[in-house]
Amino acid sequence: MRCYIDRVTTNSDVVTDIKQLIPDAGMRRRMSRVIKMAVTTAVETLGGVENIAPLDAIITATGWGCLADSERFLRNVIVEREQLLNPTPFIQSTFNTVGGQIALLGHNHCYNVTYVNRSHSFEDALLDAMMRTTDGENRNILLGAFDEQTPSQHRIMERMGLYRCQNDGEGAVFAKVTAERTEQSIAQVTAIEFLTNSLTEEQCRERYTTDEKCAVLYNNYTKYGLYPTSSAQSFAQAVKMVCEGSTEVVIYNEYFGATPTLIKVQCIG
Amino acid sequence: MEQLIQELKEHLIEELNLEEITPEEIDAEAPLFGDGLGLDSIDALEIILILEKYYGVKLANSAEAKPVFYSVKSLAEYIEKNRK
Repeated sequence: MRCYIDRVTTNSDVVTDIKQLIPDAGMRRRMSRVIKMAVTTAVETLGGVENIAPLDAIITATGWGCLADSERFLRNVIVEREQLLNPTPFIQSTFNTVGGQIALLGHNHCYNVTYVNRSHSFEDALLDAMMRTTDGENRNILLGAFDEQTPSQHRIMERMGLYRCQNDGEGAVFAKVTAERTEQSIAQVTAIEFLTNSLTEEQCRERYTTDEKCAVLYNNYTKYGLYPTSSAQSFAQAVKMVCEGSTEVVIYNEYFGATPTLIKVQCIG
Repeated sequence: MEQLIQELKEHLIEELNLEEITPEEIDAEAPLFGDGLGLDSIDALEIILILEKYYGVKLANSAEAKPVFYSVKSLAEYIEKNRK
């Protein structure tokens, strides 16, 4: 089972003006920060809204979803005593808002699924993309992950001691995935595993790499901060490392003792 | 009435996230839906909440909605007539 990566973009790579990426002002004004962050990253990855329509699948992943809108809606429920509730934060607070907004922008009615499985949401989305490309069901897939941090979320998690060793984080990462190698292919994903036991960095290296030149990104949260889909940032980093000459990069992700996962990104042979 | 119109424009910008528009750019007599500001059905729900939350005005008869929601001016006139 394998798939090819044509392009990968993180929210910090987005340079195009938001008005160009999301031309519809009506859509733009209802979008919260995380929706804007994710949708602009998705459109930048595809190189414009006109490239959304030809996609065969849009697969997104998130651990927390549209948190700010969810908080706004719940706060309204309390403050307004379950009366006079604004429709916009309710509509925009669902986990599949980003996937839906991308589809609406490009008038695309293809397979559109959002995985919300804590810290392995991105890995589940990637597995779905790999299965669909391997089965020949889809040829061109937009795969992405996003999460946002809010002040209240930060406060709660900080009080629980979750940021003692790592900083908090947020971000969006999108990739164009294809079934076959194309002229644009820059990397390939050759393995994804959900492990039953934790591994040390040394064990990862011993069991999953083929030579000494292979890199291992082991619980790689220092650079991007700790959030459920931060392994997507490691994925983007791995693709960039492969583009810069690494032959193979293994990503190990074990977020607070949740199911450990492993992704192998390789150069195009 | 002028003050109420100005206040309504500010509430519309705030509640409908019309970030790229200033109160001065909203023509009080221009249509809110379709042409003019180009609002849609979700915005209509938000406007119902503005009327109730800030002015205590409820739209009793849905048949009244079309002329009342035509423009900022028609909204202001309805508030003036019905607020307690």
